[in-house]
Amino acid sequence: MVLEALEREGVEFIFGYPGGANLPIYQHLPEHPKLRHILVRHEQGAAHMADGYARACGKPGVVFATSGPGALNLVTGLCTAYMDSVPMVAITGQVNSTQVGRDAFQESDVIGATSSVTKHSYLVTSIDQLPRVIHEAFHIATTGRPGPVLIDICKDVQQADAQRVTPERLEIPGYRLNGHVDLADAEKAAKALSAAERPVILAGHGVLLSHAERELMQLAEKAGAPVGTTLLGIGAFPVQHPLSLHMTGFMGTGWNIKAVQNADVLMMVGMRVDDRVTARLADFAPKVKTFIHVDIDGSEMGKNVRSHIELVADARNAIEAMIPHVGPVDAGRGQWLAQIDAWREEHPLRFTRSNGHLQPQDVLIDMYRRCRSEAIVVADVGQNQIWAALWWNYDRPGLFINSGGAGTMGFALPAAIGAKFGRPELPVWCVAGEGGFVMTAQELSVAAEHQLDVKIVILNNSSLGMVRQFQDDFYGGVRSQVDLTHMPDFVKLAEAYGLPAVRVDRLADVAPAMDAAERTKGPFLIDFRIDPEANVYPIVPLGKGLNDFWEAPDK
Amino acid sequence: MTTIASQQQAPAAAHAESRIRVLSVLVEDGSNTLSKVSGLIRRRGFHVRSISVGPSKQAGRSVMTLTIDAGHAEVDQVRKQLDRLVEVLEVHDLTGHEVHSRELVVARVSAGEVDGLLQRGARVLDSGPDGTTVEFAGEGKDVGDFVNELTRHGIVDVVRSGPVVLRRTA
Repeated sequence: MVLEALEREGVEFIFGYPGGANLPIYQHLPEHPKLRHILVRHEQGAAHMADGYARACGKPGVVFATSGPGALNLVTGLCTAYMDSVPMVAITGQVNSTQVGRDAFQESDVIGATSSVTKHSYLVTSIDQLPRVIHEAFHIATTGRPGPVLIDICKDVQQADAQRVTPERLEIPGYRLNGHVDLADAEKAAKALSAAERPVILAGHGVLLSHAERELMQLAEKAGAPVGTTLLGIGAFPVQHPLSLHMTGFMGTGWNIKAVQNADVLMMVGMRVDDRVTARLADFAPKVKTFIHVDIDGSEMGKNVRSHIELVADARNAIEAMIPHVGPVDAGRGQWLAQIDAWREEHPLRFTRSNGHLQPQDVLIDMYRRCRSEAIVVADVGQNQIWAALWWNYDRPGLFINSGGAGTMGFALPAAIGAKFGRPELPVWCVAGEGGFVMTAQELSVAAEHQLDVKIVILNNSSLGMVRQFQDDFYGGVRSQVDLTHMPDFVKLAEAYGLPAVRVDRLADVAPAMDAAERTKGPFLIDFRIDPEANVYPIVPLGKGLNDFWEAPDK
Repeated sequence: MTTIASQQQAPAAAHAESRIRVLSVLVEDGSNTLSKVSGLIRRRGFHVRSISVGPSKQAGRSVMTLTIDAGHAEVDQVRKQLDRLVEVLEVHDLTGHEVHSRELVVARVSAGEVDGLLQRGARVLDSGPDGTTVEFAGEGKDVGDFVNELTRHGIVDVVRSGPVVLRRTA
C-alpha cells in the first residue's frame, strides 16, 4: 500500500535502510521495479542523499528508515532540509500500534523527536489513514515553502490488508498557501526601487525555489539595481553579470557589503535575513530608508528586519507583478553603479601563494576552468563551503548545493551522490574538508556500488579549518581541539572502498589529477593537501557589523 | 467589559506587559496538536502565561485560549508562527480588543462562615466539618481579588483556570 502510493506520487528513487519495523514494506519492494531503492550505509546518509537529489532535480526526496535508532539517525538530515526548505518525505517504521508507549524494542517517539525539524509529521496507526496521509505529505512537502514531512507508520499498519484506495481530494484546512500578490504593494515596491538613488536587491533560496531567475534579471535590468545573493541564493543571478554583487553576508564580497551598507532601498527576496546575512543586526544596512521584503512565508516578515513594504507571496509572482510598474529610474543611478564598480576594483577577492603550499583557491580555479556552468558543485560545511561559493562563477541556478541554514558537516558526500541520481547528465563535484568528509565517508560504498560519476575533492588542511580560523582571530589565538593530523590515508581509504584516488600537494600536480578524475568513469577521489593556514576572506569578526569586514591580508 | 491590555498590574510592568499576546486558536484535535503548539512556544523563545483548551462548536476541533509572552521575539511572531502549524486552523489575536474574559477558581477554605465570599458572587459547592468549597468565575482581576479575600478565610486548597476569552460583538 505504501509503495503503491509512492508510485502514484511519481517517486523514482528511495534512499533507505531496512530494519525490524519496516520489514513489511521491504518485503514488497521487489514487486515495484519502478521504485529504485538505494541502500545507504547510515540513515543520515539517506536523508542527505534525498536532500541532494531534491535540490538537484527539484523533485521531493524520499527516505526510508526503521524505528528507533534508524529514524533518529535521520534527525540531522531532516534538520538540514528543514532549515533550507528542501522538499522531502521520510517514511519511518514504528512498532505495532498496540505496543506504542510500552518501550518496545527499537521504539522511540519519532514524531516528538522530529517535530521541530519537519514541516509536518504524521503517526499512522490505522490503514484507513494511509492513502490520505501519503498524498497530503507529498503535497505539503512540495508546495508553498517546501520542507521535509515525516510519516511514522506502525508495523501492523504496514502489514494490514486493505482494498486499493485512491486518496480523496486534498482537504487540509490548516494548510494555507500564500501565492496571491498584493498588487498595490507590488506597485509600491517597484516605484520605491525605481526612485531609489542607491538600490540593492538581495536574492535568496526562494528565488531558486520559485524559478524566478529570469524575472529577477528583468527586474534588475529594468530598475538598474545591482543584485547580490545569499549563500543559498547562489545561482539566482549570474555572478558575471555587470549588475552582480556576488555573495552577501558576513563572508560576502567586499563590494557586496559596501553596496548593502550604502543602499537607500534594499529589496530582500526569498530569504530569511538571518544573522549570517546581517552580521550585527543594529549595524545592518544603516542607510536604508525603504526595506522591501518578499517571502512566501509570512512569519519571515519582521522576524529579523522590519520592512516598510512586505510582500507575502511566491517570489516569481511578486517580481512579475512589480516589473510593469518599474518607472524611469533615478538620475543618480549611473553614479551608483559606477561607485559599485569602483568598490569591485577596490575590494577584489584575492589570496596569496607566497608560502609554498597549495592554496584551495588554486584547486577551485582549475575545477572551474574545466566545468564552467556544466557541473554541479556540492560543498560541505566550513572553509571549503565558502571557498566553493566565492571562487566559482555560478551563472545558472541549481549548480551549487550546500547546507546553508543548518551548516551540517558530512552533508557533501551523500548529497553529491543524491544529486548525481537526480541529474545524471551533469558532472557532480563534491568539495569537502577532511573533517566533514569522515563524518559520512561510509557512503563511498554507495558511490562505488553504483559506479556513480561523482568526483570527490577533499581540501585537506589537517585541521578543523573554520574553527581554527575563528580561534586564531576571535578567541584569543588559542588553538583548541582543531588538529586533525591523525586521519586515515584518504587514498588508501578510497581504494578500500573500491574507488581510485590520488593525493596532490603542489600546484603543478593539480591539473594532472583533475585530468585523471575527468578521464575516469565512476567515482574518483583527490586528497588535496592544502595550506594549513589558509583562511576565508572577506570575513566580519563575530559580533561585529558588516562595515568591519576584514579582507585577505596583502602579503 | 474588559480590554485585555488594561489588565496590567503595575506601570513598571508596562513594557513586559506589551509583550503579552492573548490568542484564541482553533485547532484540529489530534494526538500531536498540544505538543506541537507547546513545542513551538518553547522553541521560539516564547513563554506561556496561561492556556485553556476545550471543544469548539465544530466536531473534531478545539479552541485554545493562550496568553503568551513573546520573550525576545517580535510580538507578532507569536501569531505568525502558530499560523504556520498545519494543526492550527485559525489564530485570532485578541490583544487590545474588547473581550469577555473569564477565569474560574475553585477553593476550599477552613471557615464555615463564608458570607464575605458569597457577597462577591461565589457559589458554595459543598460544606462540612473539613471546611467549605466555593467556586467563583470572573475577570482575571476579580479572580485575583477573590483569591486575596480567600486568604482571610483560611485557604485549604485552591485551583484556578486560565482565562477563556471571547471577543465582544458590540
